[in-house]
Amino acid sequence: MVAITHVGTYLPEKKVSNLEFLEKFETDESFIRNKIGVVSRARKEKEEKASDLCIKAYENLNSKTQIQVADIECCVVVTQNPDFNIPHTSAIVHGAIGLPETCACFDISLGCSGYVYGLSVISAFMQANGMSKGLLFTADPYSDIIDENDKNTALIFGDGATVTLLEQNQPGLVPLGFDFGSKGKGYKNLINEEKLFMNGRAVFNFTAATVPISVNKLLDKLDLTKEDIDRWYLHQGSKYIVDTISNRLGLDQEKVVFDMYEYGNTVSSSIPLLLSKDIETIKTGQKIGLSGFGVGLSWASMVLQKMNS
Amino acid sequence: MSTVNVSQILEAIENANLVADVTALDLDKPLRDQGIDSLDFSGVLFNVEEAFGIEIPDDDIDGIQTINQIVTYVNAKV
Repeated sequence: MVAITHVGTYLPEKKVSNLEFLEKFETDESFIRNKIGVVSRARKEKEEKASDLCIKAYENLNSKTQIQVADIECCVVVTQNPDFNIPHTSAIVHGAIGLPETCACFDISLGCSGYVYGLSVISAFMQANGMSKGLLFTADPYSDIIDENDKNTALIFGDGATVTLLEQNQPGLVPLGFDFGSKGKGYKNLINEEKLFMNGRAVFNFTAATVPISVNKLLDKLDLTKEDIDRWYLHQGSKYIVDTISNRLGLDQEKVVFDMYEYGNTVSSSIPLLLSKDIETIKTGQKIGLSGFGVGLSWASMVLQKMNS
Repeated sequence: MSTVNVSQILEAIENANLVADVTALDLDKPLRDQGIDSLDFSGVLFNVEEAFGIEIPDDDIDGIQTINQIVTYVNAKV
């Protein structure tokens, strides 16, 4: 079976402080910390592209575990802000890190649900094709599409990237099951035409109504209870939305991981960023719950279990 | 005939976990002036929508800023 064995990350050192915008957006520090949950936003250099962020995440992965590039058989990038419309960003990453010509590459166009979708796609792809090692990248540099004068979006999003190493028959986090869904009729509530537009109330309503149902449905399918889950990794949309979902699900707050204060909502990278900090501490047999939700409107939930092999 | 009363609306607000004591809220004062910020107000509206099975369009929000206004609005919708 395919398992997550390591996660590499990249967050730009450059930060933009939301506390400098209190007057501009007529807000206060308490709202910034306790409701948005983003004090600083990680900000890439203007000329950096999604592939550049992926490559830096790969360098971080390589510092954690020595990667033999010749062994990598597939490379998938989740992004909706690719370097170009043509070609796919995974091809650019492939060339930059020197992956072999036998390595399959493709992109997945999804936002905040993209990591969970991506894990399902890459693990099934590896399983179906007898592949031993694969890389799943996430990188959605929203600073390129944010309107800095739009209060609904300007204080939320940060830049970042991650790469997850998946391996066959190695100790790691193994998917037990997934739940997916879409409400395509709501796509205009989170859309990038010239700049990103978000109908905050519509996205909040969608999330508060849909995600708890998805999580409960998945737990029922797996014959698990909320108490069987050791930690929850919900997409870090904002502190308010994470609090709302965990309250509506009745989760033990100590099990709900929250950490976006110093870098912001990094879209499909938010869950693997959290996972990268915790992966070494998850014990054999423990189960963790993940749920991503947003652009589409789309959602995906999953349970992973740490297994020895 | 009125089918929804103040206490039912207060219960919906209480379910949003926003204020320690919903009974202390002034029924005729905008919620936004009583410590309920813009995100919390979205939470209030969501809970009211869910509790009474109604949809509140964005265009209607300016007219339902107080608890009594919400009661009147919901009664016209249910």
